Amino acid sequence: MKIALAGNPNSGKTTLFNAITGKIEQVGNWAGVTVEKKEGDVKQSLNLRNEDLVVVDLPGAYSMSPYTSEESITRDFVQNKKPDVIINIVDSTNLSRSLFFTTQLLELGIPVVVALNKGDLTQKKGNTIDIPALSDALKCPVISTVSTKPANNGLLELINAVIAVGKSNKKQIPPNISGAKKASTKEEFDKADKKRFSFVNTVVAEVERRKVSSEKQTIQDQADRIIAHKWLGIPIFAAIIWLVFSISQSWVGPWLADTLVGWIDLLYAGVASLLGEEVNPVLAALLLDGIIGGVGAVIGFLPLIMVLFFCLALLEDCGYMARVAVVMDRFFKKVGLSGKSIIPMIVGTGCGIPGIMATRTIKNERQRRTTAMLAPFMPCGAKLPIIALFAGVFFGDNAWVGTSMYFLGIIVIIISALIIRRITGDFSKSYFIMELPEYRMPSIKRAVISMFMRAKAFIIKAGTIILICNALVQILQTFNWQFQVVAETAPETSILASIASPLAVLFIPLGFGLWQFAAAAVTGFIAKENVVGTLAVCFSITNFIDVEELALVGGSAEVSSIFGISAVAALSYLVFNLFTPPCFAAIGAMNSEMESRKWLFGAVGFQLSMGYTLAFLVYQIGTLVTTGSVGTGFIGGLIAVALIVTGIIYLMRKGANSTRISAEMQSVKI
Amino acid sequence: MMSLSRGKLNTAYTVNSVNTDHEDIREFLFTLGCYPGEKVTIISKLASNYIINIKDARYSIDEDLAKAIMV
Repeated sequence: MKIALAGNPNSGKTTLFNAITGKIEQVGNWAGVTVEKKEGDVKQSLNLRNEDLVVVDLPGAYSMSPYTSEESITRDFVQNKKPDVIINIVDSTNLSRSLFFTTQLLELGIPVVVALNKGDLTQKKGNTIDIPALSDALKCPVISTVSTKPANNGLLELINAVIAVGKSNKKQIPPNISGAKKASTKEEFDKADKKRFSFVNTVVAEVERRKVSSEKQTIQDQADRIIAHKWLGIPIFAAIIWLVFSISQSWVGPWLADTLVGWIDLLYAGVASLLGEEVNPVLAALLLDGIIGGVGAVIGFLPLIMVLFFCLALLEDCGYMARVAVVMDRFFKKVGLSGKSIIPMIVGTGCGIPGIMATRTIKNERQRRTTAMLAPFMPCGAKLPIIALFAGVFFGDNAWVGTSMYFLGIIVIIISALIIRRITGDFSKSYFIMELPEYRMPSIKRAVISMFMRAKAFIIKAGTIILICNALVQILQTFNWQFQVVAETAPETSILASIASPLAVLFIPLGFGLWQFAAAAVTGFIAKENVVGTLAVCFSITNFIDVEELALVGGSAEVSSIFGISAVAALSYLVFNLFTPPCFAAIGAMNSEMESRKWLFGAVGFQLSMGYTLAFLVYQIGTLVTTGSVGTGFIGGLIAVALIVTGIIYLMRKGANSTRISAEMQSVKI
Repeated sequence: MMSLSRGKLNTAYTVNSVNTDHEDIREFLFTLGCYPGEKVTIISKLASNYIINIKDARYSIDEDLAKAIMV
């Protein structure tokens, strides 16, 4: 039996889906978290008679009208894939809007069961809903559910009702809305839809008793006045971001990391003594320095990432995200983005891929593509080890390095958005409308689950892609082209060095023209964690976080001397890695969201240019300030950057011309 | 008739029309329950955004949209 979950955005479909399937899909307290359909089986404890029950979670939709362009996944699925039963999740705190969609679902002929969700919130507000009367009016079963509760949540009743209607083989009786069936023109649909709403209004008036009418001011509205305030909104946002990254990168994260790294050291020492002296030194080095050292260097940052995900999950759960969108809309609108663009960016601080996918809620095509292109500029979780490493080694672990990278990210995004708007020549305006969900206490349990989910994914990645890359890097730097082991005194004769050296030349004006750094930057495209792993392998450092020796918290002179670059060059390398294109997986996500090769290549080219230019500026200006003269390769770099800038200005000019031509022909899109 | 952007807080206005060339935003507002004859209330004005109540939900809309909604 195939069951579809359909309902308004933020009515709790995915939370209900997780509760009945036992899966752990991403949830959040804002409209549009789920952008793709997800499938799962109903879990044993709810499926007592062991039926074959497949549940499909669909993205939220407000309506099924053929004339609204959005939410087509939901409409296509319900109409073409013919599920056996539809569970319509209705937010019980917002009956009068949700039932509009319900009336449309009831007309499909597929049996519908209404899950009246968020029953606890309705109760708290002192509202009552007459469930039997609602069931009578809609001619379908209505079950009250609280999918956030572990027991007595109505889910068993819901599944039983679904099985019952699914087996009865009866077609759903549609509500009596005149003209709805025969509608074929737009006018007729509009007319029918109005009748639909008046039907809903009658039903709601009958079954719902509200203690306080919803247009009255609440404490939440008071809170919004401060949180989304014209001037206070930005500092509050900044303080929250600073707090999140201070907790993960300066306070709790490193403290946990110290313990973990102790274990990795023990493992290294244990394996080393196990291997003894007899084993082939090349093999021993591959295992110890290549695999344990490289992967260990990456794994050492796991606690920082876990704490970051925990904090982000709390933030996503409490209802703040929609408010940030309101605060940022004013600024983003000025550069041709939408306030909604901030959500992919915040989600992207966890991982770029869901961040890029979150752009789907932005309706304007250019805004969506631009956001997908710029969201990776927010440092993702995989870039966190790079930040933490360089902050620790070169800047005494100052929290400002990490935090400033995030704000630098936002500034770069704003500047880039301005440039892209010029290049595309599209100055069309768009309206901003976003539902403001109610604030709620974030669930610690959900945050913990989300944290362990990500941790698992991170460990799997470290044990597969990163392990293979590190082993490969170790092999390539051990042998020369004649497959002889390179002499310790001549590491530059290795295969890796000879491949990376030509590339390293390009990086001389950026201050890190060493083949090791070039190799690390390249492996970073496979996965950004590789940057740290490759550096560890190339410089034969076992781990970067160690309380006694190369501490993340100060005393890191040794690592910085091994690296042999200045602090300014290190900052430049950090900037380069953060603002170049993301990993291949994220580029793949950009490809599917942009749906245009031209945009994709443009985006990757733009990101490369941006990373190079920024690193150049950081290194050269930084060197000028600290030493009084410009750094190495200034002229060459200046020529390269000048070429980039000229190219971009040329494209902007071209864009401006196309605006004038298209302005008259094109009607602006939302 | 005036645009919602000139409306007062905490007053329930009846929507008269949505004055825009953008058909999709009109359709979208309709599905939220914001169409001629229905009520809309301004809860707050923040920055250049308006927090409004339609049916039983809060939405944030920008000034351009507030100007397009005639009450």
